[in-house]
Amino acid sequence: MGERADVWQGTLALMVLKTLQALGPLHGYGIARRIEQTSGDLLAVNYGTLYPALLKLEQEGYISSEWGMSDNNRKAKYYKLTRAGRKQLEKEAREWAQTTEILARFLSPGKESA
Amino acid sequence: MRKFRALLLRLGGLFRRSRRDEELAAEMESHLQMHVEDNLHTGMNPAEARREALIKLGGIEQTKEMVRERRGLPILDVLLQDLRFGARMLRKNPGFTAVAVLTLALGIGVNTAIFTAFDALVLRPRPVKDPDSLAAVFRTTPGETHGWFSYPDYIYYRDHSRSFSDLSLFAFGMAVTSSDLPTTGPEATPRIAGAVGFRLPQLLQGSAQPIMCFFVSGNYFPMLGATPLLGRILLPEDDQANAPPVVLMSGNYWQRRFHSDPQVVGSVLHLNGVAFTVVGVTRLDYVATATSVPDLWAPIPAKIVLGVISRQELENHLMAAGFPSGRLKPGVSLFDAQAELNVLAGQLRTQYPEAQRNMSVSVVSGRNSLSGLDPESWAVVAAAMTAVALLLLIACANVASLLLARAAARRKEIAVRLALGAGRWRLVRQLLTESIMIALLAGALGLPLATWMLHLLIVEIASALPSFWGTIALQISPDIRIFAYTLLVSCMAGIAFGLAPALQASKSDVNSALKEEGSAFGRHLSRSWLRGILIAEQMAACMVLLISSALLLRGSQRAFKVDPGFEAWRVAYLEMYNPANLHYSQSRLLQLNRDLIQRIASLPGVQSVAQASRGPFGGIRWVPVTPVNAAPSTPGTNGNELPVAGYSFVTPNYFDTLSIPIVRGRNFTPSEADGQAPVVVISEATAHRFWPGEDPLGQRLKIGSEKGTTSFPGEKGPFVASGEVIGVARDVRSMDLRKTDESYLYLPLSQTHQWTSTLLARTEGDPTPLLPVIGQEVRRVDANLPVMGAPLATMISMNPYFVVSRIGGLLASIVGMLGLLLACMGVYGMVSYNVAQRTREIGIRMALGAQSVQVLRHVVREGFQPILAGIVIGIVASAGVSRLMAATLFGLNPMDAVSFSGVSLLLGAIALLATWLPARQATEVDPIVALRYE
Repeated sequence: MGERADVWQGTLALMVLKTLQALGPLHGYGIARRIEQTSGDLLAVNYGTLYPALLKLEQEGYISSEWGMSDNNRKAKYYKLTRAGRKQLEKEAREWAQTTEILARFLSPGKESA
Repeated sequence: MRKFRALLLRLGGLFRRSRRDEELAAEMESHLQMHVEDNLHTGMNPAEARREALIKLGGIEQTKEMVRERRGLPILDVLLQDLRFGARMLRKNPGFTAVAVLTLALGIGVNTAIFTAFDALVLRPRPVKDPDSLAAVFRTTPGETHGWFSYPDYIYYRDHSRSFSDLSLFAFGMAVTSSDLPTTGPEATPRIAGAVGFRLPQLLQGSAQPIMCFFVSGNYFPMLGATPLLGRILLPEDDQANAPPVVLMSGNYWQRRFHSDPQVVGSVLHLNGVAFTVVGVTRLDYVATATSVPDLWAPIPAKIVLGVISRQELENHLMAAGFPSGRLKPGVSLFDAQAELNVLAGQLRTQYPEAQRNMSVSVVSGRNSLSGLDPESWAVVAAAMTAVALLLLIACANVASLLLARAAARRKEIAVRLALGAGRWRLVRQLLTESIMIALLAGALGLPLATWMLHLLIVEIASALPSFWGTIALQISPDIRIFAYTLLVSCMAGIAFGLAPALQASKSDVNSALKEEGSAFGRHLSRSWLRGILIAEQMAACMVLLISSALLLRGSQRAFKVDPGFEAWRVAYLEMYNPANLHYSQSRLLQLNRDLIQRIASLPGVQSVAQASRGPFGGIRWVPVTPVNAAPSTPGTNGNELPVAGYSFVTPNYFDTLSIPIVRGRNFTPSEADGQAPVVVISEATAHRFWPGEDPLGQRLKIGSEKGTTSFPGEKGPFVASGEVIGVARDVRSMDLRKTDESYLYLPLSQTHQWTSTLLARTEGDPTPLLPVIGQEVRRVDANLPVMGAPLATMISMNPYFVVSRIGGLLASIVGMLGLLLACMGVYGMVSYNVAQRTREIGIRMALGAQSVQVLRHVVREGFQPILAGIVIGIVASAGVSRLMAATLFGLNPMDAVSFSGVSLLLGAIALLATWLPARQATEVDPIVALRYE
């Protein structure tokens, strides 16, 4: 179980970055909901692991935070992608694409002859 | 890089935690609210909405905990927590903390003191330019690893070796006199040194003050990068044969004798009658590669000018000159230099097969004196470090038992913690932190304690030595290395004494602790088992220290009782300091001697005055000896091919003056002595060695060799082609009190032809009151004559084995006493703790009919068991140690019954007292009260 959690943590970070890139500055709840929606509700984000992940991203300098007002006039902490975060996102997205491509070749049969 | 940034932020996260905690709580609260609102919008009722949101959110406390862990560094967090808690606990029990800290500070302080002394003397780099590229060169022969060089050999290596940019020579120092300076006043009597039996010969009042001068080659100071305080340093041109005589004054001497007069540079100082120009003054306490500060520094050829040696002697391959040191060229390693010098040594061996036989060289680092230590010095260092390590061990064991007692008192608190879910290792870590804090406090206290102890010791030693032996300039200043050593020792001590109690305490049986069944019968057994071991170990260590000290002290006391074979208690030993160097003519010298002897002999209380080239305890000179026409099979010692014997030139009344009986044959006649006839009186051992079972009278000995013998500057080895044995004298112990001299010869001294520096005056009673009177006579004869005098018996204290035994014994007894004090405190504590713990049990026993005396006996017996075990272990260990020390005991049996039994009884008695006193409390237990006691 420990390993899976780590992997998810890594991909969770990527999903957070992507969400922020797509939607702009967003609070923690919003990020969580968005990830669930995007995954077609196949992923259930344990909100408990979200906050440590957000903290880690912030410590590494990929996102920055700021207190602001939500739509319903509620005080919430908004997270924003930094330039470093943008670059990291591009880099990781590329790497994932490559990985999936290589794996696809291995896993899909019949493509060997050609 | 990102990781590093994260780490820094985490470090910063240790601060302002409460604010961030609040922020996170607020953030999660708003998160929850938003979720609930969304839920409401989907149509759930408020209760369901909230419930669903909470479930989705997961454990809030856990999330907070995870974020907190992420935010700060958990390790540091925990450490800070432990530190704060530990400090609070220590503050709560100031008495306990004080005792523990002081006990440890003692152990740590003594250890640090020894290490500091070792560092200052041996490890510290010499105070010269770039000490790492310095190398020291020694001559090695079978049996000697750090031998001296002769002057021509040094020149050869200097001129032919390419590994060194400079090779300089540090030659033996000499005392010189100056008629320009006032005579001495009384020397200050050393305080502690005198009390423990050291009495070094002191200058007779009124004699001229000798000045200690070190001789060095011209390139010595430039090689070391020395800068003068005033004037200039000695240079290579001062080394030339016809250079004007110059001398460099030490800053210390300049302050002491010349009151820091800046006019001294360029002034003329008459040394041994020769005019020298003072060219400069060194910095204060400047020792270069020596261990003490001299009064003057002079170039080596000045020895010839001063009359210390002749030119031929300087250029003699067999004469000891000094110790070379050199600066390695950049890129040359010690290994390379060694290889090159081996080649040069080989060349010298080929050129001078006789002189260089068996000689080779060794090149070692000259950065400090570490590589220059011989095995005997290492033995002393090892012994000292072992003794103080034992003390630290005792201190640690002591504090460990204190900690155990305290842990027992905290059982309830620990049990509660364990019940609440604290991990065992967490508890152990926390207890260990407390221990280390105590240790660090002790270390902080121990460091200044060590400095103070060392200052005291050095001041005492310095005041015991005659001032002209040079000033010992020891830089005892705490530096990073010593601080680090102390820190290391403290931490190790902290872990050593803290680990066992911590492990013990955390093993707490939760149930019984919470129910406060502390005084149940079998519960405390495991704890007192550990405490018992600690007590036993302390006692054993004390035993070793105290028995060793008893042996050493008794042994060194024997030195005074050993019959040396001659009269030592009613003879005054007088040593003159080379008045030959005042450039007196030979006839004037001899007249001086005769006048002196006549005057001293006519003093009331003086029975006779004899003259000798070497008196007892005055050092040994050896000469090769072979029987003429004898079998060449007589083996020699030390692997040399020729047997050697100690020798001395003596006047005919020498034997009477010292009460050495001549057991066969006869003494020299005055005419034989005057004419330096080829006759010799040998010792019994010599007779037995060369002619066992035969009559040695009439036999002939060849003494010395035509080519001259290796000797020291200023002394000529004797040469007698065929000396007839005319008498045999009783064996004496003039060299080493532990055994009789191996072979000794007495050659006739001619008072009309030969001058020697030693006079022996036989007195009717104790010679001490006569010494000032003799000093007056000396001054009447010649005011420029420095003369040292002492009763012959006190010269025993110059014997190195005596010194080692005495000092070793004193140190061991001081350390042992301290250890005993600590151990007894520990015993007292343990027994009173035991009694307190078992009050209930004792009450029950008494209620069941036990007499108070029985109870007392029971408690004392239990408490004494570990002590007894410790004493037994200590005796066994001491037996082993004493075997190692046997050589320094002056014939005392290493298993000396008095020492062993005396110390055992003393220790046992003191320990028994420490056990009995608190045990008495047990008898005052009122059974009713005890049974109600919780």
